[in-house]
Amino acid sequence: MLSLPSFRPREIVHMLDLTRRSADMRKRFLYGLGAVATAVVAFAAVSRPSDAQQQPTVGPSPLTTSDSSKLQGPKQPIFFRHDIHAGQLKLQCQYCHYTVAESSEPGIPALSTCMGCHNLVAGKTKENQVEITKLKTAWSKKQPIEWVRVHTIAKHAHFPHMRHIKALGTQACATCHGEIAQMPQVYKVNNVNNMGFCITCHIERKVSRDCSVCHY
Amino acid sequence: MADESTTPSVDRRHFLKVLGVSGVGAAALTGCSTDRVTKLVPYLVQSEDQVPGIATNYASTCTECSAGCGLHVRTREGRPVKLEGNPEHPTNAGTLCARGQAGLQSLYNPDRLKAPMARNAAGGFDEIKWDDAIARLAAKVGSAGGKFAVLNGYGPSTFTTLLQDWTKALGGTHVAFEPFAREAERAANQKTWGRDDLPTYDFAAATHIISFGADFLETWGPVVEQQRGFAASHGFHDGTMSRHVFVGPRLSLTGANADEWLMVPAGSEAQVALAIAHVVAERKGHPLAGMLMAYMPETVAKDVGLTSQQLHDLADAFIASGPSLAVAGAVPTQHRGAVDLCHAVNLLNEVAGNVGKTVLFGAGPAVTDGFGRTRDLFASMGRGELQVVLVHEANPLYALPKSGKFLESFKKVGFKVSTASVLDDTAAQCDLILPNLHSLERWDDLRPRPGITGTLQPVVEPIFPVMHTGDVLLKVSKAIGGAVAGFNAASFEEHLKAEWQKRAASGKAGDFDSYWRGALGRGGIYEAAPAAAKPALVSGATQITFTKPAFDGTGDYVLMPYPSSMYYDGRGANKPWLHENPDPITKITWQSWVELHPDTAAKLDVREGEIVELTSPHGSIRSQVYVYAGVHPGVLAMPLGLGHTAYGRYAKDRGVNALDLIGAADSDTFLPYVSTKVSVKTTGDYRKAARVDGEARQLGRGIVQSMPLAYAAKGMTPEESYKAAGHVEGEKNTERELAAIEGFAEDQAKATQYGDYANPHPKWGMAVDLSRCTGCSACVTACYAENNIPTVGEEQVFRRREMSWLRIERYWEGGEAGEPLAVSFAPVMCQHCDNAPCEPVCPVYAAYHTPDGLNGQVYNRCVGTRYCSNNCPFKVRYFNWLKYNEVAFPEPLNLQLNPDVTVRARGVMEKCTFCIQRIRGAQNTARLEDREVRDGEIKTACMQSCPSGALSFGNVKDPEAAVIKWKRDPRGYHMLEETNVRPSVTYLARVLHQPPVATPAGEAH
Repeated sequence: MLSLPSFRPREIVHMLDLTRRSADMRKRFLYGLGAVATAVVAFAAVSRPSDAQQQPTVGPSPLTTSDSSKLQGPKQPIFFRHDIHAGQLKLQCQYCHYTVAESSEPGIPALSTCMGCHNLVAGKTKENQVEITKLKTAWSKKQPIEWVRVHTIAKHAHFPHMRHIKALGTQACATCHGEIAQMPQVYKVNNVNNMGFCITCHIERKVSRDCSVCHY
Repeated sequence: MADESTTPSVDRRHFLKVLGVSGVGAAALTGCSTDRVTKLVPYLVQSEDQVPGIATNYASTCTECSAGCGLHVRTREGRPVKLEGNPEHPTNAGTLCARGQAGLQSLYNPDRLKAPMARNAAGGFDEIKWDDAIARLAAKVGSAGGKFAVLNGYGPSTFTTLLQDWTKALGGTHVAFEPFAREAERAANQKTWGRDDLPTYDFAAATHIISFGADFLETWGPVVEQQRGFAASHGFHDGTMSRHVFVGPRLSLTGANADEWLMVPAGSEAQVALAIAHVVAERKGHPLAGMLMAYMPETVAKDVGLTSQQLHDLADAFIASGPSLAVAGAVPTQHRGAVDLCHAVNLLNEVAGNVGKTVLFGAGPAVTDGFGRTRDLFASMGRGELQVVLVHEANPLYALPKSGKFLESFKKVGFKVSTASVLDDTAAQCDLILPNLHSLERWDDLRPRPGITGTLQPVVEPIFPVMHTGDVLLKVSKAIGGAVAGFNAASFEEHLKAEWQKRAASGKAGDFDSYWRGALGRGGIYEAAPAAAKPALVSGATQITFTKPAFDGTGDYVLMPYPSSMYYDGRGANKPWLHENPDPITKITWQSWVELHPDTAAKLDVREGEIVELTSPHGSIRSQVYVYAGVHPGVLAMPLGLGHTAYGRYAKDRGVNALDLIGAADSDTFLPYVSTKVSVKTTGDYRKAARVDGEARQLGRGIVQSMPLAYAAKGMTPEESYKAAGHVEGEKNTERELAAIEGFAEDQAKATQYGDYANPHPKWGMAVDLSRCTGCSACVTACYAENNIPTVGEEQVFRRREMSWLRIERYWEGGEAGEPLAVSFAPVMCQHCDNAPCEPVCPVYAAYHTPDGLNGQVYNRCVGTRYCSNNCPFKVRYFNWLKYNEVAFPEPLNLQLNPDVTVRARGVMEKCTFCIQRIRGAQNTARLEDREVRDGEIKTACMQSCPSGALSFGNVKDPEAAVIKWKRDPRGYHMLEETNVRPSVTYLARVLHQPPVATPAGEAH
């Protein structure tokens, strides 16, 4: 039977959270209407590959926001450098994409997560300082950043991120998303919206190919 | 606290904006393209209790009727997507009726007012600013000098106390209003026991129940609680079950669940009660027997159209074993003799010794001021004695009959204010509308009965920028000052907490913070009600002065308006879920109708759908006919709830209001709904009824099977019971046929050896106990809510295009050639057949069998040939003919959509999935925790909502699973077993108190 744990006070919103501990059937895929905030995501890239992306550099390459249009992938409102954060600084993906191991949605970081560091980190180079200033301005205006989605799957398919992290480990993001840690600007390496891409892996690993696992 | 709670709320508001945008995208989904530019908008500060992709449940309280059931509001990304019962709540214990679940559609109603409205010179409404609105109210109330009144439909609560005190401080009058307020019962209790309150009835403890027209399963009293109790005693268990007899002129849903229906003329129920009481008193040697000499069965039998033997038998059965229970007082018996009837039933309970056993005082529902006070208030309006009137959470101009000139009286008030969130019939006549927040958006509490205080908390940012009426009162107080200067809390939230602080301090609550948070988390405080002494008969109670109730008019038929199962007192009429969930008895959607007995119809020469004109001394209406053998030939019955003059797009000008025909009260205590005689005239017009039932009789198909209690108690199967009742064995399969069936099964078994199918998998199955199912249809709305099923509207229902994945089949039994009419119900959903006929005919493999035993339907494969539906013997596949997904959810109704379920597009076949999203969700959770899915972890939406607990679901390969125990019950059978489709749904035959030789259902016709 559905067990309902007793109430546990929470700090911010005093309301009952049953789902995360009750192990009932709430953990599901974000779909349809609610398919809003998810993770890293999407866009048919058309621009030519830049040198920076083909030959990842060790240190932060001195790129400015004007360079970003030459890079693969959609231009973002802030030239956020995955290659610096995940590559050079070796931040774990899950530091920002915090629900990837527990939910179908990996989560995108709240602005407060960014500000956790950038309250103090103002950037070494002028180029970086410009971008970080954009973040701080947004924070002070309480305006969330509207990122452009890179990866999307069709709304009649459900992709549970947590099941894949559980099976493949927390370092498995690159399996589908490519070496994000070396991308100054995120672009789509694999067409994750192609069912063949999913099914190839499912065949190789001898896991379920039943339609109703994803389509419902 | 203020800081803490404002930060996440900013995020949620923003989040909703985003949802509004992307919601359009989702609804417009037609293909696989994802090439649109979509935005990802993060939170500013991540709220701790919102995880994207995972639902969060908040406890709240239902405000759709006065029962005050506990809610768990399932929210996703800050937006409620489904209302379920709160398992901790003593009233509903996790279940919820259809009307309660549809509360979500009043939150997201597209006709909600978005700002305060003021009447302009041209007679229309202008949107105004909140500051302006409050200033206008303050000016009028401040200068009214006590010529001010409040009509409040919200139950006892901190808010209502504030409103009362505030009104009193201003010298005004506060009247608590509720359309079906059970005043006649209270008057009778005063007469019998000298007390003014209502009891609770313990249906679970009763072994014999007689209902005198009291619809305790649908609209009378706390129905979910009563249904739970009824299922506990009347559901077949341990070889026994209680017996239920329904006495009244119309067979309602409650009557349809009775073992026996005694049809009596309107107004004569009290005589039946007194006759039974007389026999019981005589048997028990009760002194009351002497007082009841005038009501011997022999005397009244002819009057009530029964035989004296029937009355004697009923009385004997009533006291044969254990505590029994008699109930009365619902709207269909509110004739001018209603107090006498309730008094007679009280005496019957008294002589049978039920008081204190099944009739329990002390924890009864909260009571209102009653109809008399409301009528007096309107009378003083009519005399021009009031300058300002405020109507809160009530729609009196709809719920009171036109003949009482309530509208005319109301119009004489200088300044009329409403807090309605939708422009309802009353608000449309007001000068100022200050839309209140919906109950899921606001802080509040509710005390539906002693011992229970339910809490309400904002579970979503206001969908529209409207204001809590509590805050309006406080702001107005600030503006007026003087007598109301003391109402100076910063906000209603602060006021509520201050009141709870007092409550905590007066008890042994300890630390307030944990007390408050604990209450919010559990949805309220549930304590045992203060014990009440067993009431004693007052000295005058035995003076029985029964007179036959009088009826106005000279027509041939008594008009019986009754509260609709779906629309209730009319507040359900603006919710498409309730329109499309058919009436459980007539199976009509989106309309009102008038029920005529077949004899009456024959006499008038009318057929179903013909429009007749009903005329009473008070008015005249035209309505379509429904021919119903379950109504007394002298009675015309009409559901209440439709015929609104306003109240949004779904309600306005739809159907007719039967109240237009009845007289205003001539009684001080209650509105006599059944007090008018009408004449009927045919008009020659016709209007097709949007009915969703197919063939109304089983025609020997054994779809809904039932068996006598004597056989069920012996552990017989329905088949054995059928044979034992003297029926010949049915047709047998030939050997050739058997071989073919066997061969097919072998082929199927072989097919399961390929690929993934060879691995161990669960196999999902369901069982439905028809002896518990009452046909209430709560599961139908639960299915609509869970699975994003579009409502298609009346026009499409005419064409049989309704999308109800789960429907309740209703079959008439008997009712012809002198046989008593009986009704059978069964929920029918996709049976997930092992030999599913839909699968082999699909040319694109959209219908296929999953390894875990489900009959899968892959929407993105479906090309819409509809072969599967043609081949389905159960007709449980529904085709999306038009762009229902685009028209069924006008903004912001689209916010109710469940993100876990695909919103299907046009041209796609869809059907029950056994809530596969819940199965996959549970499997995901189990996998993360390195365990198997536990039995009971998956509850389908229908099973979760069922107040009777009539459904069970689980893995049938698990020998310990609860569903297996159900499936092994000897009463189990498969629907249409002869088709060899091997369904995964097992039905447990209904058990009835009927003579063992009676014809089993399915054979009689």
